[in-house]
Amino acid sequence: MLVALLVALPVIITVVQALHGGLSTAVDALKDSSPRALLVNSLLVTAVSAPVCCVLGVGTAYLVERTTLPGRRIWTLLLVAPLTMPLFVTSYAWATLGGALQGFLGAAGIIAFSYYPVVFLLTIVSLRGMDPALEETGRSLGLSARRTFWRVILPQLRPAILGGALLVVLDTLVEFDAFVALKFQTFTIHIYAQYQLSFSSSGAAALSMISLLLCVLLLFVELRLRGGANYTRVAHGARRTQTRQRLGRATPVALAATSLVVAVGLGIPVGVLVYWLTQSSHLGFVYATDNLRYLWPATMTSVGVAAASAILALVFAVPIAILAVRRRGPISTVIERVTYLSFALPDLVAAIALAYAASHYARFLYGSLTLLVLADAILFVPFAVVAMRATIGQLEPALEDAARSLGAGGLRTLVRVVFPLSRPGLAAAGMLVFAFVLGDLSTTQILLPPNLYTLGTAFAANASTVAFAAAAPFAVVLALLSMACAYVVMSRFGKVRGLAAR
Amino acid sequence: MVAELACERVVKAYGPRPVLAGVDLNVAGGTLTAILGASGSGKTTLLRVIMGFIEADAGSVAVGGKVIAAAGQVHLAPDKRAIGYVAQEGALFPHLSAGDNVGFGLARAERKRGVRTTEVLELVGLDDSYAPRRPHELSGGEQRRVALARALAPRPPLVLLDEPFSGLDAALRGETRAAVLHALTQEGTTALLVTHDQAEALSMGTEVAVLREGRLVQRAAPARLYQAPVDAELAQFVGDAILLPGTADGAHVSCALGRLPIAGHQVHGDVQVMVRPEQIQLRRVDGGRARHATNDPPVDARAPTATVVDHTYQGPDTVIALRLDRDGGGSAVRARTLERDAPGPGERVALEVLGEVIVYPPTG
Repeated sequence: MLVALLVALPVIITVVQALHGGLSTAVDALKDSSPRALLVNSLLVTAVSAPVCCVLGVGTAYLVERTTLPGRRIWTLLLVAPLTMPLFVTSYAWATLGGALQGFLGAAGIIAFSYYPVVFLLTIVSLRGMDPALEETGRSLGLSARRTFWRVILPQLRPAILGGALLVVLDTLVEFDAFVALKFQTFTIHIYAQYQLSFSSSGAAALSMISLLLCVLLLFVELRLRGGANYTRVAHGARRTQTRQRLGRATPVALAATSLVVAVGLGIPVGVLVYWLTQSSHLGFVYATDNLRYLWPATMTSVGVAAASAILALVFAVPIAILAVRRRGPISTVIERVTYLSFALPDLVAAIALAYAASHYARFLYGSLTLLVLADAILFVPFAVVAMRATIGQLEPALEDAARSLGAGGLRTLVRVVFPLSRPGLAAAGMLVFAFVLGDLSTTQILLPPNLYTLGTAFAANASTVAFAAAAPFAVVLALLSMACAYVVMSRFGKVRGLAAR
Repeated sequence: MVAELACERVVKAYGPRPVLAGVDLNVAGGTLTAILGASGSGKTTLLRVIMGFIEADAGSVAVGGKVIAAAGQVHLAPDKRAIGYVAQEGALFPHLSAGDNVGFGLARAERKRGVRTTEVLELVGLDDSYAPRRPHELSGGEQRRVALARALAPRPPLVLLDEPFSGLDAALRGETRAAVLHALTQEGTTALLVTHDQAEALSMGTEVAVLREGRLVQRAAPARLYQAPVDAELAQFVGDAILLPGTADGAHVSCALGRLPIAGHQVHGDVQVMVRPEQIQLRRVDGGRARHATNDPPVDARAPTATVVDHTYQGPDTVIALRLDRDGGGSAVRARTLERDAPGPGERVALEVLGEVIVYPPTG
């Protein structure tokens, strides 16, 4: 409860600010045609990219998890990597390719190809947990493999797909850096512009109300779509390894499709980075060597902030995830949903709200790294919750009951049974947040103490002056870190110790 | 009658270890054959080969005279085989109601009409009020019934049941078993049931086939299988068995339990004698002389005597562990009695073996 309140802090402050400054700005914005067009832009890019995300995510997940696709482990890593790759790096890479990739197409594309791993990861967990007998029964009742997929497997995947889509949609609505780089105007950019024009946080806060309202609507819709259906396994069935669909002659086609997804999602940013790096060897050599002095301290700051945020986010997420899995009810649902609200605020607005709160009520936090860590942790809690739910949902409640019967209290059960068992999932959740914080730019730019710089801000400072060669080393470190995160996430997401070998 | 299901020399190996080492199995139309085997005996693998979920390395499977699988030549997809399948614990689709689960395999028009759905649900003893329920709202037994109804709905000539009653408590198991048998008989469906539970196989099967290490060791009617298992190991697998060394001289065998008639052929020489504990009758004896009710026949003075070591009350019957007095207090045997006042530890009893015994070649 307390955690939920803390996590909702930016939202509460923003709502108060908005009410204080009057909602007229928001109402005016809706009357004005230009912001309204931007809102339509936001919705349109979301409406296009989210379904594409689902198709890419489910399709690739099925290929690596349920077919005889060669090199499945490598593909899994490469398919997860776009998620941990900082979006501002990817977006600059797309922007430098220019032309068709700018504007709407680029915006929708970059979201689709950067966020599909959310759906991918959740789908994989869901596929693994499915009773193989369901599929076999479908076949025995006369359904071909393809129709079994549509009528048996896909319906089971619904919660995973909806949960993934929700995160993607919320993130798209408030995305800023990527769309700026691709010169695509959205409502969130309008909010930022408002803030910079007037320096009044109340105007931006009022406008954010619209985005919050959308979020509440989406949370409600997702809940309704998910419905009251109980999708947990009714029976345990046979603990048998899943049979894989033999691809046979379709193997080249499947490989080509997977390669295409990886090429677009990962190939573009990595390719451009390599290009920049080779450029830096002669063209930007002077810049680069000069900048290299900053590389180490920037890395340290980035990693420090990201690690601290990740740990804090886990601390926030653990009670929420456990509550959501074990005590299903209206209260736990509300608490779980509240974590999404902060996520639906544009980073800028959330950051300002926290800065405002700190300056008024906790001066010692104001302008400190601690505030940035807190802000990042709050922002990415939903991802941590989703990742942890994926693992905790698979723990047998009987194990906890056994621990309780042996005299371990709630907390001791948590420490001695739940945590050790869900360690892989915890690691994946932490790494996911770690990667997102590394890839966060707008919050960092606002809350980072002035004398410090991170890999992200150093990259952005150079990239915005088109000194890509100078920016490249920072991006390369980021990319390497993100690949390491991707590996941890790929190998541990939604896994339980002891069952991992399954 | 034409064999509804015919498996010929089915071989399947995972790595060097053969799971199925050439299984021949014919199931007559309209009957229920139970495949009994311990875990790892290959029974589930056989079932999956018949279903088409896995391909055998050698051998063939035919249903209704039509070859549906022949290693390396024919492999009909599972959905083209028209074989009903009831998975372990039912495997109901959690996203569909019980009614929709049952209608799943029907053609669209028939599904919409819903007549068949109601019909098969009734067949397994569930009324219409169950149709809208979700699988998690059903009890374990109800889930199994719905699963069977779902498998029967498209009227398959053959249904395979994989441990259909595992995880159900005793009372529910009996009830569900009866419902399943009733439904199968009503539909006239040929069925193959896979189980590791002896009582289940013996009570349900028209015939029981025992699978051991990938081979069918015996296939017979339940009573025959229980009374005359082909070897000592099987005797112990299908029920409680006492094995004693003995010497045969044609139609009789002499062992620690006395001189007993042998079932079947004449045998000579050293043998192993198999006696079922319920064949042994006990009489209390006092100081070496039998004490018996007036209407009991007198105890044969040569009858072996024993001391009760332990007794386990099991409700309807009692299992009594005994140590034979003969050969210096050697062999331990068990008796099973329906008597309410069964002798307790320390009491001495006289033993009598009812009926014929089975003999096997001696071990080692």
